[in-house]
Amino acid sequence: MEQITLCSGAQLLYLPDLRYKTARITVSFLTPLREETASANAMLPGILTRACADCPDFTSLNRRLAMLYGAWVGGRVRKIGETQALTFTLSLLDDRYAPDGEKLAEKGAALLRNMIFRPALENGVFRTEDLEQERRQLCEELDSEFNDKRIYAKKRAEELLCRGEAYACGRLGTKEQLTALTPQDVFAAWKNLLHTAQIRITAVGTEAVRVAAMGFAEELQAVGVREPAACRTELPRGGKTVCRSIERSELSQCKMVMGFCSTAAEPDETVPAMRLFCALFGGTPHSRLFLNVREKLSLCYYCSAHFVRAKGILLVESGVEEQNAARAEEEILRQLRALQNGDFTDEELENARRSVCDSFRTVSDSPAGLDEWLQQQCMLPKPELPEQTEQKIRSVTREQIVAAANALRPGAVFLLAGTDPNRKGGAEDEE
Amino acid sequence: MKNKTQYAVCGDTVFAAEHESGLRVFVCPKKGYSSAYAIFGTAYGSVHNCFRMPGEEQPAEVPAGIAHFLEHKLFENEHEDAFARYARTGASANAYTSFDKTCYLFSCSQNFEASLEILLDFVQSPYFTAETVQKEQGIIGQEIRMCLDDPERRVVWNLLEALYHRNPVRTDIAGTVESIAKIDAGLLYRCYHAFYRPENMVLCVAGNVEAEAVFAMADRWIRFGRTDGKPESVFPEEPRQVVKSRVEQHFPVAVPLFQLGFKELAPSRASSRSMVETDILLELLASESSPLYRRLLDRGWINSSFGCEYFEGPGYAAVLFGGESREPDRAAEEIKAEIVRLRREGIDPETFECARRTVYGRAVSALGNAGAIANQMTEAAFSGRRFGEEIELALQVTREDVLRRLNEQLDERFSALSVVCR
Repeated sequence: MEQITLCSGAQLLYLPDLRYKTARITVSFLTPLREETASANAMLPGILTRACADCPDFTSLNRRLAMLYGAWVGGRVRKIGETQALTFTLSLLDDRYAPDGEKLAEKGAALLRNMIFRPALENGVFRTEDLEQERRQLCEELDSEFNDKRIYAKKRAEELLCRGEAYACGRLGTKEQLTALTPQDVFAAWKNLLHTAQIRITAVGTEAVRVAAMGFAEELQAVGVREPAACRTELPRGGKTVCRSIERSELSQCKMVMGFCSTAAEPDETVPAMRLFCALFGGTPHSRLFLNVREKLSLCYYCSAHFVRAKGILLVESGVEEQNAARAEEEILRQLRALQNGDFTDEELENARRSVCDSFRTVSDSPAGLDEWLQQQCMLPKPELPEQTEQKIRSVTREQIVAAANALRPGAVFLLAGTDPNRKGGAEDEE
Repeated sequence: MKNKTQYAVCGDTVFAAEHESGLRVFVCPKKGYSSAYAIFGTAYGSVHNCFRMPGEEQPAEVPAGIAHFLEHKLFENEHEDAFARYARTGASANAYTSFDKTCYLFSCSQNFEASLEILLDFVQSPYFTAETVQKEQGIIGQEIRMCLDDPERRVVWNLLEALYHRNPVRTDIAGTVESIAKIDAGLLYRCYHAFYRPENMVLCVAGNVEAEAVFAMADRWIRFGRTDGKPESVFPEEPRQVVKSRVEQHFPVAVPLFQLGFKELAPSRASSRSMVETDILLELLASESSPLYRRLLDRGWINSSFGCEYFEGPGYAAVLFGGESREPDRAAEEIKAEIVRLRREGIDPETFECARRTVYGRAVSALGNAGAIANQMTEAAFSGRRFGEEIELALQVTREDVLRRLNEQLDERFSALSVVCR
């Protein structure tokens, strides 16, 4: 792994790899997640990947990518802790597999540079047509988060758990903010990001990919003086009381999400212990939650735990019949207490450890998996390879697991339930 | 192992062999990879509800959802369930049932041999009792209810019900709460012994493995003996006419969803060549570089969730277009109009070349991922296609081939639209 500083607050992380048939370059703009800027920033990945000055038409831009043997550029908006990450990923066939010997990496990267740094403009700002398209699509994306009940329930639980914190802000901001944006606002957001965002470029592939990625250094120098802002995430403040909320919709199965606050987030040294605890608690098909809540007691169709390590919160998601919700909650807490008391066997611990370590090694066997890994790592002060993180998991002790379990405080229970008026909500009875 | 063969696919080599029981084994070693991915699969999916055993005259009909039910139950054993065994090897294991197959799989970076032994053992060791079957009915009932709450699944199931009169593809893969209530241990054993036969199954492995080592493991752990042959699935006669041309369901969704399907007759599985021709056709018709996509987007009738696929299996074939849309009916009309225009005006050479290159690039890219390779080898083996041949074909197919395909497929008279909206 090679880490190269391109300019102030901009780094390239390159991993040479000849095993794959494809190459990937991802450019990430990292900026503090704030309600007042989230929506304008969120418009950029979509607008910039629609067209560029050199190829102002959406269809012809996509045809140019298609001619590079189906090269693909994807723009994404993510929330990683209290950082908003705007990413542009180029994925294309490795030059060795171009039937006519075309230099795909060089051409693809040039196109990506044009998209990010030389957008299609009118009257010195983004084109109204591009803006309107993207606005509509992001509003629909916000709406469709509601269509997927599992995602929706998780999002609501996170909001409930982190009320009043920057983390409660959605990755796309709100519909109201999106609706109010003008071409000037979004253009100003683009300019601002070029000057203030932390920029991370990850590249996986042959030397040609490294050279193509290095080309971004020139673009950044042309930006002029940069004053990159630090991206920090505060630990969760909740967990003093348990906030409860129930929402009703026409559903036949209820979704319950429980949120817990911990006392550590990346890059704290106790994070590996929390990751391993999470696997033991509810991260595998041989975890406590799967074996007890789902298999033994048949209370949930699914029941799993996920540690959001960028923020330091842990979520337990489950699909449950409403009349079983209270019992499921009780059982989940009972399993947590058992682990807090050190009531788990060495075999259980080693099984969880094997499973987590195995998943790290599998990461580097696909370009997408490795690129995703590098994107997460490049936000940390010391980026690691999967095998380095694996070593940390290997050295976590039983005592550290117990300490991780005891650092969790229940902070929220969100229930998305059906509308049957004759049924009394289990969770409501708990209040 | 016998009948060993090997062939090259874009820098990789595929090794194939047959176990004495008739089980086919495919291995694609990937140098430098740290993990391996294995699938033990049977050509038994949700559509195989009516079948005739070798030597029998009358076909037998069984309730919907047994293939999926078996998938759940095989993980359990008299002594210890498969997940508990995998926990000791560190493998990440799973299984899935589709319309046409059931696959048991794992990926791992260590203890491959021990994990493969577990996989081959539990799939060959059925164990069902009245009590465990009853418990599973509860769990699968919950799974069925969870799917009822998923509008993306609803819009597809509703479309299949509108396209198909009798073909079992119109029923949910998991069956219905009523159909699974009819399942008992006896039925499970009967279907297990009918379809979990070596002649009807494959073992596919890709990743950091040696072909000879995998063949030796199969020799050691395959206990199946040769049987009197595969069951023959019987599908009810299905006309090309659809049941209904439009179906709508009201559901709490914020953005309406649609699926537009064009039904085809499917007397046999599609060849690799026709699959590639269809892929190129759909790419030039509806991908992001197509004029249709642009028009739909500009008018605000689709968003980036829009896509299309060739839905093909034993006894069924259809082209499906779908995604979120605030104007599903107008989007569907526009797609139909574009098909007519393309038939009238033909395909220009540059458009064809763009689509062909994309299909080629996509096929080669998939070979970077061990899981994708193992799944594609399984799919190829069950559909009578040769894994990897689509890459060569993508460079051979001509514009005329695709035009001919356009004239055979996408007939508006045999189409249906499914909409899920508030």
